[in-house]
Formats: sequence, C-alpha cells, structure tokens
Amino acid sequence: MGAAIRTEQLTKRYGSTTALEALDLEIEEGEVFGYLGPNGAGKSTTIALLLGLIRPTSGGAQIFGLDVWRHAPAVHRRLAYVPSDSNLWPSLTGAEALRFLGAIHGTVDEAYRDELVLRYELVVDKKIRAYSRGNRQKVLLVAAFASRAELLLLDEPTSGLDPLMEQVFRACVHEAHERGQTVLLSSHILSEVEALCDRVAMLRAGRIIETGHLDVLRGLAALRVHAELDGPASDAARFDTIEGVHHVVVDGSTVTCDVTGSMEPLLRVLATAGVTRMTTHEPSLEELFVSHYGDVVGAEP
Amino acid sequence: MTTGVAISAPPAAAPDAGAVLRRWNAEVAIARRAFTQVRIGAVVCAVAFGGTAASSALSYATTFPTPASRAALVATTRADAGLALLLGPIQSIDTVGGYTVYKCFVFLTTIGAIWALLAATRLLRGEEDGGRWSLVLAGATRPGRATAATLVALGAAIAIVGAGTSVLVALTGRSPDIGLGAVDSVVYGLSIVIAPAVFAAVGAVTSQLGRTRRVASSVGMGVFGVAFVLRMVGDAGRGTRWVLWATPFGWTELMAPFTENDLRPLLPAALCVTVLALAAVNLAARRDVGDGLLSSRDVAPIRPFGLRSPEGLAARLSIPVLVAWCAGATLTGLVLGIIAKITATSVPSMTDMLGRFGVEGAFVNQYLGVAFLLVASVVALLPAGQIGAACDEEVSGRLVHLLVSPTTRRRWFVGHVTITAIAVVAAGLLAGVGTWVGAVSQGVDLDPASTIGAGLNVVPTALVALGIGAVGLSIAPRAASRAVYAVIIWSLLIDLLASMVSSLTWLGHLSLFHYLALAPAQPVELRTIAATLGVALALCALATVRFTRRDIATG
Repeated sequence: MGAAIRTEQLTKRYGSTTALEALDLEIEEGEVFGYLGPNGAGKSTTIALLLGLIRPTSGGAQIFGLDVWRHAPAVHRRLAYVPSDSNLWPSLTGAEALRFLGAIHGTVDEAYRDELVLRYELVVDKKIRAYSRGNRQKVLLVAAFASRAELLLLDEPTSGLDPLMEQVFRACVHEAHERGQTVLLSSHILSEVEALCDRVAMLRAGRIIETGHLDVLRGLAALRVHAELDGPASDAARFDTIEGVHHVVVDGSTVTCDVTGSMEPLLRVLATAGVTRMTTHEPSLEELFVSHYGDVVGAEP
Repeated sequence: MTTGVAISAPPAAAPDAGAVLRRWNAEVAIARRAFTQVRIGAVVCAVAFGGTAASSALSYATTFPTPASRAALVATTRADAGLALLLGPIQSIDTVGGYTVYKCFVFLTTIGAIWALLAATRLLRGEEDGGRWSLVLAGATRPGRATAATLVALGAAIAIVGAGTSVLVALTGRSPDIGLGAVDSVVYGLSIVIAPAVFAAVGAVTSQLGRTRRVASSVGMGVFGVAFVLRMVGDAGRGTRWVLWATPFGWTELMAPFTENDLRPLLPAALCVTVLALAAVNLAARRDVGDGLLSSRDVAPIRPFGLRSPEGLAARLSIPVLVAWCAGATLTGLVLGIIAKITATSVPSMTDMLGRFGVEGAFVNQYLGVAFLLVASVVALLPAGQIGAACDEEVSGRLVHLLVSPTTRRRWFVGHVTITAIAVVAAGLLAGVGTWVGAVSQGVDLDPASTIGAGLNVVPTALVALGIGAVGLSIAPRAASRAVYAVIIWSLLIDLLASMVSSLTWLGHLSLFHYLALAPAQPVELRTIAATLGVALALCALATVRFTRRDIATG
C-alpha cells in the first residue's frame, strides 16, 4: 500500500516564531497513526497545513499523492476532519448540522449515520446552541465517521467526551481501521493513543522527537526501578554516577531511578547498600512522555 | 517558548511566610476591562464631535461675517419645515452657536447613538454570546453587579465624548469672531451626550432581551429608528412640536445650547437613562446567564432549506438580517417620500441650501437628491454587517467545516459577496419604491421610473463599500467590517464638511459619495455608474484572489 500522508521538510513560521520545523512524516494507507505532543507543540498546525487551510513557509505535503495546497478540493473529497474546538452554527439543530455536513462533504452512509447517532446517544432535534461541548463534538464525530472518508484527520477529537462516549469513539476508530480507513489521531492523551494506534510520532516545540511503532518507543525508554534500603540512602550522587542510571530521586530510604541498558551495575551498588525490596516496571506511554518532556514542556529545544 | 509576559510585578518579599495575595475588587476589574474596550472609540468620537462642531462654527463665522449676511441667511432658510425635518433645530441660525448646533445635530446625534448602542451590546451581550461573560461571573461578583460595573465604564466613555466636545468647542469659541463661552460649550457637550447615554442604556436593556449580540443590536436599532422618526415628526410643524419631548434627539434639540441653554430636557434624559440602566441591571440579575427574555425554542424539526450547499446555508443564516435591512431601506424611503409633500409646499428657501450639494431642477427633485444621500448611507452600511458575519464565521472556526469539504475557498467567498450584492440591489430598489409610494400617498406626483432609478443609483456606491469590506476580509478579517463603517462615516462627514466650507471642496473627492450623482436632481451618467461598478468589481476580484491565498483562522 502507498502513503496516505507524506510531508517533506514541512515548515510553518509566524514571523520569528516557528510553529513547525522541517516535518518529515509518512503515514501508510490503512494505518492508525498517533500524533502526540503537549499543547502548543504544533499538532494543530500540522493538521491545518495538511488541510490546506494555511500555507507552508517551506516544504510541502501530499495526501494520496496530491499536493494539499494545490489540489485541496480533490484531497478533501477523500478525507474527513474533526477539530478539537467544536464550533457549529448555533441556530441549526443537530440533525440539520449533520445533513449539511453530509451534503457538503459529498458522501454519507446514512444508515451508519443513524446508527452512530444512537450509539453516541445524540438528541438531534435540539439546536446546537443548547448542546454541551461534548454533544457538539459528537455531531462532528458522527459526521466524520458517517462520511466513510478514506482518511480521517482527528485533532484531539475526544475533548469534552465522557469516558463512556470515549469507549464508543474507540470502537468507531477500530471499525474504521478494519474497513481499511487511514486515521491520523492527534492527541495528548497517551492511553488513547496507546489503545488505538499502530505507530506514533511525538512532537515537541514544532519538531518530531520520536517516531516509530509503540514497541519501538517503549524500547527506547528506560526501566523504572523503585528500591527500598535498610537505612537512609543519604548519597544520591552515588547512584547518579552508575552507568545507564538517570533521574535518580532519593527520599529517605527509598530510591527511584530509570535504567537503560544492563541492570548489572545498579544491582551491584544496591546489593552493597542493603536493599530490602525492589520493584521494576516498564513505563507506560504517560511516563515515557513525561521523561521526554518532563519539566521542559513548552520550552524551546 | 521561553519568552514570557509579566502579568504582574513579583510581590515584594513578605515579612511572614506564605503566598502574597493581591486583592482586587471584581467590579472594579470588570469596569476597567470594559473601559479598555471602548476608550479608543470614545476618544475618536470626542475628537470627531468637537472637531466637527468647531469647524462648523469657524466656517459660519468666515462665510457669514456680518449681521446683514446672517439676516440674509435667516431670511432664506428659517421657517422651512423641510429643512427642519431633515436637519433639525433651525431656529437660531443667525448666531454662530445656533448655526453650529443646527449643522451638526443630525450627524453627531446619529453617530453618537449608534456608537453607544453597539458598544453596549458588544460589552454586554457580545461578551456573553462569546462565552467570556461566564468567566467574568465566576469571579466574586453577580450578574447584576457586573452589568452595573460595565455600565459605569460606558458612562465614563460617554463622559469623555462630552468633555472632549466641550473642550474643543470652548477652545475654538475663544476667538472673538466666534465668541462661544465656556458655559455654553459645557451645555453643548451635555446636549451631545444625551443620545449616546440613552442608547447605551437602550443597548444594555436589549442585551438582556436578545440571546445573541446581533438580535440585541437589531432591536436597539429598531428603537433608534423610532426615536429618529419621532424627532422628524416633532420638527414637522408647531402643532407636533410637543413630540420632541418624547425622543432623546428631541431633548438634545430642546436644550438649544448657545442660544437658550435650556437645562430642563436633561431631566427626562437622566430619568430615562436611570430607568433603563436599572431595568438592565435588574433583568441581568434575574435571568439565567446565556439566556435572553426573547429566547426561542431549543427543539425544532428539520427545516431542509439551505442545507444542501454552502451558499444555501449562507442564505439561510443571513436572510432574517437581510430582510430587516431591506425593510429598513423601504421604511427610510417611505418616510422620505412622505416628507417630500411638506417640502413640495414650502419651496423657495431650501433651494440655496440644497444648491451647496450641487443639485438643480424642480424642488422636489432637489430635495430627493439630497434625501437619497441618506438612503445611500443606509444601503452602504449593509455590507458592513454581512462582512462582519463572514469574519465571525471564520474566526469562530465554523468556516473550517466548509473548507475541509470539497468546497473551494473561491466558491465560499464569491457566494457570500454575491448574496450581499443581491441584498444591496434589493435594498436600493425597495428604497426607491418606498419613496415613490410615500410621495404618492401624500398626493405628490413623482415619476416612478426616475424615483426607483434614484434608489438603484445608490447601488454601485454601496457595492464599492462591499468591495472595500471584501478586501478587508481577504487581508485582515477582524478589521474588515470596521473598515466599511469607517469609510462610510468618513465619507459622510467629509461630504458634509465639503458642502459647508467652500475652501474644503477638494476634500470631497475623498468621499465615496462624491462619485454618487444625487439623482433625481443630478443627471446620472452611465460612465460614472460603469466606472463605480468597475471599481467595485475589481475590489471584489482582488479580494477573492487574495482570500484564496492567505492562511485561514482555524478557531
């Protein structure tokens, strides 16, 4: 299968601010791709560029082999988009909004749309202005999934949804995946990406810092070690200098640290320090994310 | 990003441990923020009002320097019901002050009233509509108190307008030729702020009624229209003069600053403002936030109209507003047509005055020529609202839903511009028809073709305003509708100034209305019409190209 999305050195600058720097991304057809990053990392900028809403400062992007700026209408015929900010026409009812969104997109699976309305428990004869944020978001999700578009661009689509509805959303993404639709899921909720995506890219301050399969990302990460000693571990520097050990936190008689590579050097030190109890675990994407962004979220690289 | 903005200076080291909390009074903070949003408008109004009044006084003193020339002016102008209807207080035009009041009356009270009305609905309903009001109300305040704080800020802005006008007039009045006293100038300033103060209060009340800023402003504009017509009725003759006591514009007129300095009308004005403000505060305190007293149902069956295409939806969303505009244009025409009867019977004096606008021929036609300038301004303001709505569509993020469909940007843009252009043509046509019907209803024999033609004659100029708005939308959407308002108000002021002061005639070239033949009094040149249409078309085309190339605001 070919690439659904391909970007080459895609860059967007606003004056002296760089929103996105030389993005190289390739997303295969039929793939569910997670696009992770904290607020302001450039996720929405990437999607706006892919939709041809804003113009790249340099570089370019293609969707299904078509340039996203020059062939925008042809590209749009094959995709559906859900923004995180669900503003719709307040005077329309939910049903009217769905009908309109279906009409302008050009394709809609009406039976599936009706089914989705039921699954999302959407009351469609209410006017949009009377909807909560979550309900407005549901209207956009129903419209996007019911379009059966080949590519779904979802920009933090579950903002405002309750946990039950988030499960419905996940089921819809699975169904889309089974039908062979490509999904780009931008999110800062790692559990969501972990549950849904084949591959992920992590973005920080406009730059990709990691791309790969979920396994690859986990492999990059350290093992988190939590050890309790039989006396106060007064000397953190003793652990800091051990090969492959970082992020050491000493609190009384407990030591927490991350280990990459072999555990042996750490075990040797711990054995002499008198360890009473030790646990290790593989970090979740959440922890991985924190170890990448940590306390420098939002800072320039 | 490491660039940070200091929100407040770091607190000085506290003698004891713990956080240093700076305490603010919520209402003070609300009033300050509201004032920040209107202060520039207030200063612009103050300078424009003071400047216009001062230049009127100056031009009168130089054009009519001797008592004899002033007596001649009075002989040809006063006691003319038509002029009084159109421009207001005409009694004392043999004095510098009386003439200044008369010259500036309609324009300053109109602009002041509309400015204050729109500012009030923006600060109250606009903030609520945009969701920011709930954030404000989450602070240590209640809806009634927050509304009152906002009204205090509006009051301060209006005080700036009054003070600025007074000071500029007083400074000009120190010249011995003009001779306007400081007290007179203060009274003038007070008379000028009556309309803004009343309409700010009206806007505060309509903001409690309508659920959107648009509805609140539209209801307020309706009140403005009634007040305006009442003033015209009050000026129609001795028998109806009492009606002036029933409208804020009448109160301004009855004060007769510089000549009579009658302070009594300030009483009903103050009473009206107080009652309206208290009503607004009370209504705000009683109703649910986000709701309006005129709210409609929230559940409705599907209405399929306009749901098949972007143009359809644009038409569906704007038809109520466009119908209101067309009704407004028809009514304006109707009133002007009815008044034509009065002017037709009191002919000789107005000719000289109208001659300054360069109109000739039968008197009724001359009157209509100038009257259609009013129609032209009404119709030319229509695109401002539409451009504003298009901008709102974009910055709210709703436009994105259309542009991520196969709809091209060009199609959406051209669709919006075309719908507005159709509405402009309809408004011009209906104003012409209204004028004819109004005149005929009073037994004035007007040629239907030339009257309706005069209505259509304002269309190309309004389309240029649309073109300016479209260019604005294609470059800086947030400034686009303001650009249209600015161009129209500028054009009106400049046109007025150029017609009054002979040395400023050249300035008239900078007015949109300079290129508008005052039909039916002036012959309509096809070449001018074609050129105006060409400019409008070129601006729209330029805007379309520009719009397809720029970044879209994504909400």
